[in-house]
Amino acid sequence: MATTVAAPPYVAAHGKYERGILSWLATVDHKRIAQLYLYTSLAWFVIGGIEALIIRSQLMGPNGRVVSAETFNQLFTMHGTTMIFLVVMPLSAAFFNFLIPLQIGARDVAFPRLNAFSYWVYLLGSLFMNASWLFGAAPDGGWFGYAPLTTRAYSPGLNIDFWVLGLQILGISTLAAGFNFITTVINMRAPGMHFMRMPIFTWSAFVTQFLIILAFPIITVALVFLQFDRFFGTNFYTTAAGADPLLWQHLFWLFGHPEVYILILPAFGLVSEVVPTFSRKPLFGYPVMVYSLILIAFLGFGVWAHHMFAVGMGPIADSVFGVTTMLIAIPTGVKIFNWLGTLWGGSLRFTTPMLFAISLVALFTIGGISGVMHSSPPADLQQTDSYFIVAHFHYVLFGGSLMGLYAGTYYYYPKITGRMMSEKLGKWHFWLNLVAMNLTFFPMHIVGLNGMPRRIYTYDANQGWETENFLETVGAFLLAISVAIFLYNLIVSRKRGERAASDPWGAPTIEWSLPSPVPEYNYAQIPTVTSRYPLWDKKSPELTREVPHTKAGERRIDVAMGGKQTGATIETPSDTRLNAENAHPSAHELGIHLPTPTLWPLCAAIGLTVGFAGLIWHERISIMILGAVIMVVSLYAWFLTPLEEAH
Amino acid sequence: MAPHPRLRRVLRAALTAGLVFGAAACAKEFPNSTLVPHSEFGRDIDYLFNILFIGGTVVFVLVEAGLLYTIFRYRQREGAPEPKQVHGNTALEITWTLIPALVLAFIAVPTVRTIFRTQAKAVPNALQVEVIGHQWWWEFRYPQLGVTTANELYLPKGRTVNFALKTQDVLHSFWIPAIAGKRDLIANHTNYLWFTPDDTTGAWNGFCAEFCGASHANMRFRVFTVSPQEFDAWVAHQKTGPAFGAPAAAPAAGAAPGATPSVNQVATSTAQTTPAAGGAPPTPAGPQPQVANVSTATFTMDQLPRHVLPSTPLPKGLSLSVTSGDAARGAQLYRTSACIACHKVEGVSPGVVGPNLTHIGSRTTIAAGLYPNDFKHLTLWIKNAPAMKPGSLMPALGKSATTPGGYDDQQVADIAAYLLSLK
Repeated sequence: MATTVAAPPYVAAHGKYERGILSWLATVDHKRIAQLYLYTSLAWFVIGGIEALIIRSQLMGPNGRVVSAETFNQLFTMHGTTMIFLVVMPLSAAFFNFLIPLQIGARDVAFPRLNAFSYWVYLLGSLFMNASWLFGAAPDGGWFGYAPLTTRAYSPGLNIDFWVLGLQILGISTLAAGFNFITTVINMRAPGMHFMRMPIFTWSAFVTQFLIILAFPIITVALVFLQFDRFFGTNFYTTAAGADPLLWQHLFWLFGHPEVYILILPAFGLVSEVVPTFSRKPLFGYPVMVYSLILIAFLGFGVWAHHMFAVGMGPIADSVFGVTTMLIAIPTGVKIFNWLGTLWGGSLRFTTPMLFAISLVALFTIGGISGVMHSSPPADLQQTDSYFIVAHFHYVLFGGSLMGLYAGTYYYYPKITGRMMSEKLGKWHFWLNLVAMNLTFFPMHIVGLNGMPRRIYTYDANQGWETENFLETVGAFLLAISVAIFLYNLIVSRKRGERAASDPWGAPTIEWSLPSPVPEYNYAQIPTVTSRYPLWDKKSPELTREVPHTKAGERRIDVAMGGKQTGATIETPSDTRLNAENAHPSAHELGIHLPTPTLWPLCAAIGLTVGFAGLIWHERISIMILGAVIMVVSLYAWFLTPLEEAH
Repeated sequence: MAPHPRLRRVLRAALTAGLVFGAAACAKEFPNSTLVPHSEFGRDIDYLFNILFIGGTVVFVLVEAGLLYTIFRYRQREGAPEPKQVHGNTALEITWTLIPALVLAFIAVPTVRTIFRTQAKAVPNALQVEVIGHQWWWEFRYPQLGVTTANELYLPKGRTVNFALKTQDVLHSFWIPAIAGKRDLIANHTNYLWFTPDDTTGAWNGFCAEFCGASHANMRFRVFTVSPQEFDAWVAHQKTGPAFGAPAAAPAAGAAPGATPSVNQVATSTAQTTPAAGGAPPTPAGPQPQVANVSTATFTMDQLPRHVLPSTPLPKGLSLSVTSGDAARGAQLYRTSACIACHKVEGVSPGVVGPNLTHIGSRTTIAAGLYPNDFKHLTLWIKNAPAMKPGSLMPALGKSATTPGGYDDQQVADIAAYLLSLK
């Protein structure tokens, strides 16, 4: 390995994009891409939240007239689409990006440029979808866009065009990332990182990627049909030509139900990291936690029609899907019990991440119970498409996914930025969030059981819905304040937060052996892993003495190898020099070759988006050709750019 | 606003959630409650819901209490030794896999039984009703009885009714929460839903529960459960030709100059309904509506509970310069108007696109439950329907800058007077 002090080619190749905005545009570093995902999705979180506040303002009292029916329909469609595809999924992707390589002891993901491409496609796709607001034509068919309402005959405007094409663009991003992470986990685990030693977040991420690569092609096909119907006059969903509109529903939910698990499993993974750390105990029943993830993923593909109990599938289909849906409650319940088992007997520290992790357990349980309530098809006939369902999925998505992602953000913030988020503001955020979240969403159960349909832009007085709706609106605004506290904390802590040590929480997994923030090369030397909790082995061996380390009961090997400074070494000089600017040696000094930064993935993403934009005005074939040319040229340039600097 | 009554209402709301065993007292406060069902199908569902609710509450209490106990009991204490490192417990984990499975079996068995019972074929002598969804109104046909109406459904108490659900356009969902569960209307499918309404005279709200476009929220309907005798009288009345009496509207207008005649006034005046007179169109042969039928079988505004009285505010900028119309002139106008292309008045106009108007005067609401059916709302509706209901497929018929060929206010009032007289 050449480690000459003056290595001009290295500096030259790297220097081009070393700092400033270009360094972000050209980055292929998984940690930087993770941050891009994080900040972009939080920005959309604000937008989606504003949409929710307008919705709640309209529904605060009967016969509300804050916005028109048409605008309201666009708002709830975009609120759902935004929160699912532009917030929770990419926020999870931020953690996939940041954590998978760190947790498995790798330098980066398998395909760093594809990773950058995924992010840029996500960013441009999200901008594309929201550009519809500028045309006054935001999607308005609901987030599950039931045909035939979404066909040209009933939605002649651009609204649904933006939705179909926007989702297609976002799907490409998600799929590319999915294959990337699967390859990373399978091929790039550090020595000794057996599958059953993998940190549980990486497991949840790994399982999620399989859900993605199996579920997204289905929605892609469903959307291609719709796209062809809308643009080229085919009749997949044209009921006037004899089409069966249930085709869309089956395809959509065959994607849509696994999608629910795509949204929740990463949050489960984060909570499974946080809870052991702050309980000072290993995760209770690690193997069962892994199997239940896999089982949830499998069963998740066999329950889709429970979204369709009111469509009249007949008693046999209703019974089968009702029972499979009940079955999925079992592995999910096991996860809840195992978290309780982890907490039980621990020494619990109620840091902000821990509080949010516990609130996931508490709130997701409510969502899970209401979920079982509509797994019974006859009972569901009174619940589906009512506010009871709205309550249910906000408990699993807000009370579940988002609590997990909040926990993860507070927990990993020091590793990402080198600084701690304020615990004081964090506690304010937590308590306000807990109260406001229940105030917003709990009354929806009641109002739903009292007959309020969902997706109505207005309702009449004297329906028995007024008090609950008023409370929900108050709750929503309090929730907005809690989000504002969180974002303020997140932004201010970046500069003013307390400096973080490499392992500020006393965590057990190897990513905490690295300096905070993590050097660009991650591990100076790839660690060898001997157990699920290598840091506890090092720091508190008395903690893990009773924990079996391998199936065969192998002797424990030091995580540090050969006396060299490794990523998994705990007491290293870098600990004392923590976070002094560039305290750790550079990749160059260590002779580590990093992937070359390049702008071509961004250019390819631009080409892709331009091509899709051309389809919106489908007579402008020239725009589509322009997009295709940009994309093809960028891909060639991408392939021709050397993977690493010459040395 | 005063927090006190609101607080009381919150407590009451919380109480309903708790009182799943059907506190009939709450029916007034929560007129659409699914927890106080008014049919045997609704009760079957409620029975399952109670099992689920009780089971769910038990699980909720156990899990949350366990969680709270754990976090209080095991919070970090100064100087305490490191916790015992438990990595799992196979027996325990098998237990908490099997117990939920058992609990779910207790739910699954009655669920499957209920599915098969409620989705069996309806009894052969059931009343057949065809429900046809339209953007954004409901068409109800009674094929055995030869009756077609819109947005208001009359059902005889205690008799099984079998709905055949179809849609003219996009998907809709037929839902009367206080009576029974919903069923979707799917293009190119016919779905069925049957139930037996309880022996309670009542007026109920129905909703479209599947998002269907701009006015999804405004696709409401009313259900009236009446005694078999009243139902028969209503049917007999609906089967008559269009009631129309020229003098009907005039006295009403004369009696209250400057005031909008209330439906009730019109109802009283049309009690003297006579077969078509003057320039009115000839009515087809057949029994004419009788006074008794009209007043007993239809619900008039003052008989209706609050929850079925629409309170939708009128959009700003809509007004009519006249306060009364002449039904006879309206009848003439109607016959040559654009109305006839879409609306049916038996023996007068053949349209099938919009609601059947043969007995529109006997309905309590217009625009799918959005506005009360009175002179004021009906005239404005005729004048500018799209302004009153987003996305309305009925065009604005009144004269305006954009529709210079439309009817002037007097003509609109005349047509409205005619329609209101179609009891």
